[in-house]
Amino acid sequence: MSKIKKKRVGFVLDMTPLVDITFLLLTFFMFTAKFKSESDSEQKYQVKRPQASVDTTKLPEQDLVIIKVGIDTVNRDTAYHISMLNEQDRIKLSQVMIQKEFPGVQPNQNAFVTKDTVWLESIVQEARFINHRAQFAVDADRRIQFAWIERAMNAMRKKRATTFNFVTDKKQ
Amino acid sequence: MAGGGEALGGGGKQKRGKASKRKAKKRVGFRLDMTPLVDITFLLLTFFMLTTSMITPQTMEMNVPPDLEAPVEVRESELLTVRVRQDGKIFYNMGTDAPEAVNLKELHKVIVDQNVNLKNRCIVSLKAEPTVPYGIFITVIDEIHQCEPDIINGLKANGINERQRKFTVAPMEAKDREEIAGL
Repeated sequence: MSKIKKKRVGFVLDMTPLVDITFLLLTFFMFTAKFKSESDSEQKYQVKRPQASVDTTKLPEQDLVIIKVGIDTVNRDTAYHISMLNEQDRIKLSQVMIQKEFPGVQPNQNAFVTKDTVWLESIVQEARFINHRAQFAVDADRRIQFAWIERAMNAMRKKRATTFNFVTDKKQ
Repeated sequence: MAGGGEALGGGGKQKRGKASKRKAKKRVGFRLDMTPLVDITFLLLTFFMLTTSMITPQTMEMNVPPDLEAPVEVRESELLTVRVRQDGKIFYNMGTDAPEAVNLKELHKVIVDQNVNLKNRCIVSLKAEPTVPYGIFITVIDEIHQCEPDIINGLKANGINERQRKFTVAPMEAKDREEIAGL
């Protein structure tokens, strides 16, 4: 009775904790986000990796030579795409390949595309000369024929890269 | 400056012509409308949340023997050959036995049993037809990898604590094709 009715001044909510948490999450996701590298955005194929369950070793982010075998989305063509992860190695490899007259080579080429096992062997060899710590990884589509892998394995074997990795996805 | 004016009281009012018309409001803390900020922040947050992929690819290590001219001799009785035919069917045989068709689960059991029986001396050799999809090849290798814990347990039960793994990938030859052709 005696209380004086307060006039309502709209509904005000203190948003500060909400903003705090949101910014925290935002910064977390911003820092962990990894954007596609230049070579990734250039590639015209998608790799559907085979699924495996046991091994949980992650792919190293440095000193790595990746041999990708993908099926082109447009013309359904398969080829080896060889690239080195380290920027300097990539430049060096491009220089060497210019000397060796790799068809269509450019300075600082991201990936070398070839179907020829002789070229594959020579790139594997040069990559090993440039970075002796480099590990090899085969990242291939699960739908391609095993022959592609067998040839790549033989090429690496010939050039004494006897330990390498198959890139897989975790089985759901 | 408005605060200063207030503190001065009546004198302040007279000095400032315009301020005198304004009602001297009592300060109730600083309030900022955060809604647009929150809007944008949430937008960015959802963007980053949806674009990040938490699943990173993993690797499966493989070792191949170096390309040496001298062939390594193995006893046939210790050689377990696993063959993968074009249609994805898996066959296994010990030494010179006739190949037998198996599925992945049976293969697991066979590999574990043979490795435990032969006490580390068993060599598993995987041969796959070049036309087999790579995915199937990886599935078989994965299954062979998965045998390891069971083999180690089996060996431990027999009093052997060390495990020496012998696994190789070999090319499929015409002879291999003939053996599994009619099965």
